[in-house]
Amino acid sequence: MKVKILLLLVFLFPFQIFCQSKNTIDPIRFQIKNAGINVDGTISDWEYEISFDPKNLIDSKIKATANPQSIETGIKLRDKHLQGRQYFNVEKFPEIRISSKRFTSKGKGRFVGIFELQVKDVKKEITIPFAMIKSGKNQRFSAEFTINRLDYGIGESSLVLGDEVKILINFEK
Amino acid sequence: MRPLLMLLKSKVSTLFRRYWVLFLFPILVAGISIDGIQKWVIQYGSDIPKVWTDEAIKDWELPNFNPEFSAKPVSAAFYYNLPERVIYKTYTVYHPDHEPEGYWDWLHSIDAEIELDESKLLTEEDFVKAGELLFDYPIDSLGAIISKENVRDVGFYEYSEMPLSKDGIMPFARWIVTGKGKVYLGNLSCGMCHTKVMPDGSLLKGAQGSFPGDKAFAYGLQKAPENDVKAVSGFLFSSPWAEGDPHGELLSKKKQDILDAYAAVPTGAFGRQGTSILFPPQIPDLIGVKDRKYLDHGGLGQHRNIEDLMRYIAMNQSLDFLNMYGSFNPLGLNDEVINSGKPIMFPGTYDRHSDKQLYALAKYVYSIKAPENPNKPSQLTEKGKVIFAEQGCVTCHTPPYYTNNKLTPADGFEIPEEHYDKYDIFDISVGTDPGYTTKTRRGTGYYKVPSLRGLWYRGPFFHDASLAKLEDVLDPKRLESEYVPTAFIGAGIKNRAVSGHEFGLELDPEDKKALIAFLKTL
Ligand code: HEC
Ligand code: HEC
Repeated sequence: MKVKILLLLVFLFPFQIFCQSKNTIDPIRFQIKNAGINVDGTISDWEYEISFDPKNLIDSKIKATANPQSIETGIKLRDKHLQGRQYFNVEKFPEIRISSKRFTSKGKGRFVGIFELQVKDVKKEITIPFAMIKSGKNQRFSAEFTINRLDYGIGESSLVLGDEVKILINFEK
Repeated sequence: MRPLLMLLKSKVSTLFRRYWVLFLFPILVAGISIDGIQKWVIQYGSDIPKVWTDEAIKDWELPNFNPEFSAKPVSAAFYYNLPERVIYKTYTVYHPDHEPEGYWDWLHSIDAEIELDESKLLTEEDFVKAGELLFDYPIDSLGAIISKENVRDVGFYEYSEMPLSKDGIMPFARWIVTGKGKVYLGNLSCGMCHTKVMPDGSLLKGAQGSFPGDKAFAYGLQKAPENDVKAVSGFLFSSPWAEGDPHGELLSKKKQDILDAYAAVPTGAFGRQGTSILFPPQIPDLIGVKDRKYLDHGGLGQHRNIEDLMRYIAMNQSLDFLNMYGSFNPLGLNDEVINSGKPIMFPGTYDRHSDKQLYALAKYVYSIKAPENPNKPSQLTEKGKVIFAEQGCVTCHTPPYYTNNKLTPADGFEIPEEHYDKYDIFDISVGTDPGYTTKTRRGTGYYKVPSLRGLWYRGPFFHDASLAKLEDVLDPKRLESEYVPTAFIGAGIKNRAVSGHEFGLELDPEDKKALIAFLKTL
């Protein structure tokens, strides 16, 4: 049920972006090295609750969930495998959650946020440097950070698949 | 000692009497005494693993797709009570048109010679050499697959399209001489199924074999009565618990339909006992097997060390005929009959390899090297290597072995929770035909990720040998029901899809060429 509602909500959102900007970048992208080659992927189904005021960082809040079922890497069967129990185990853990704990400003629209990231049943505090640029009424967020997939039980140690996953966030609210 | 037929009063025993019992006597069985059985105890090498212990046998194999029917092998007591195999000197089999003048008479004039003296095996080298001898040593002289009459009949070669090696030699069987005038055709050496005749007539031992075994068997069965054809096919393939009981259905057909099913199995595949001629397993390349963690396409046998390979050999040559699958036994026996202490006269069930022999065999199999690969790296293959990584092949076919050594579930198989800890699981189905692994005695519900090494001298491909060439593996047309598979099709079938493993199908022709060029360098 919950997933369905989430899906509904989230569907509306990417559409807006696609209509608005011409050279759309997927809001959530990730990169991982497999046999020396970068594999790019996206998670297209997600939603957020944001109230972010650079002048009031104390009361600012960023919360988001992403649905690993919407993962795409360009190879369908691989996507399916990633959803399986040895990776995201979407049946048991239908949401990736992230929520902010506090922010500090680094000047010129740059910030650092301490977030709690929950993937599967692992919660970890992570530090994410990000930028927020105002364009009219909208706020454009962008961030790039790296996590170790093994910390969250995403697959197992592998000769060919890297441990580090680079995550690229880029969206407008 | 008189061999006793311990079979139930059924067609089964009639069949035995008709065919096999005639040949039983003079060899192998005769000459076995309590002394002989006890000899192994004394000369037992200290570092030779003991292969068949009840403990080890219990969980060495994976459960059946249908776990109630998982194999229950014979006990260690039963096993070690079997007499050890005596290794006689064997002789070349020629195509009738190539047999040297006087050869046949000469064979009948010579005495038996015992060729292997295990007490002399000391060094690694000794074991490997003895292992090679054993690899080519037929464990059967009852005519398990082909007979003396067959190999002396020119029509047999034509029908089966039997490849010959240099000088018109039929390289898949040997003559065993067990005494003056006692010349038997030896079947079921490893080499029978695991030797490839290369285009230049040389032999490549261990490679995906080129013995057209099921066609050859079908030739011999032509003369057998329908009921016997059914009985023997039942011994080999029956798995009555399988959904839809496809083998039961096959056996309910006419003799000719059954023979057609045998003849439909292409060279490079073979309906080994416990598998199927409806879903025939590709003969695996044994070169490099040391680095594989599971044996058979379904990964039935774990391969954690040399003992496991020894176990595999003991089981498959051919003690699995004595397994109980629930209350089902392939030969129609029951526990009581099996454990009555009397020999069960069936190819491979009344004697065994010594542990030393098994050790030698396994050492030899581990030692086999691939021939030099004529396909050298080039710009094209380097491009292919990148495509191999980009297309995600590398995740499953991971260097250096070009397999991640994992088991993938077939469509329709739900992985039991406890398997995740016990076995190496890659929990996605590649969607190939589930028949072999869900409907046979050896079926586990899985297909292992095969190694891609040696692809250049191998084929046909996929677990059921459906595709002749690597080009076919990458051809998206194979997913359509009008497709005509290029190797195994199936009796009475004109066209069918070869489904699953949908990787690299969408590449453009240039990229496919590069990918295939790369695959051929492995
Ligand atoms: C009558 C044919 C035949 C004979 C004889 C035979 N094999 Fe095989 N072997 C096969 C077939 C067919 C398979 C594949 C079985 C399957 O996947 O269900 C196989 C599988 C194997 C495997 C598993 C390899 C892998 O990668 O999965 C090993 C090891 C092996 N055989 C070794 C031997 C040895 C050693 C001998 C002699 C002691 C031998 N075989 C005799 C036909 C034969
Ligand atoms: C998800 C894991 C996976 C991926 C990814 C994968 N394979 Fe496979 N591959 C398998 C499995 C499992 C089989 C055995 C399937 C069967 O026989 O039913 C196989 C079989 C093969 C075979 C036949 C081997 C033989 O001995 O018959 C070839 C060739 C092959 N794969 C090449 C490739 C190439 C090239 C790619 C990338 C374009 C690729 N595979 C991607 C799992 C994979």
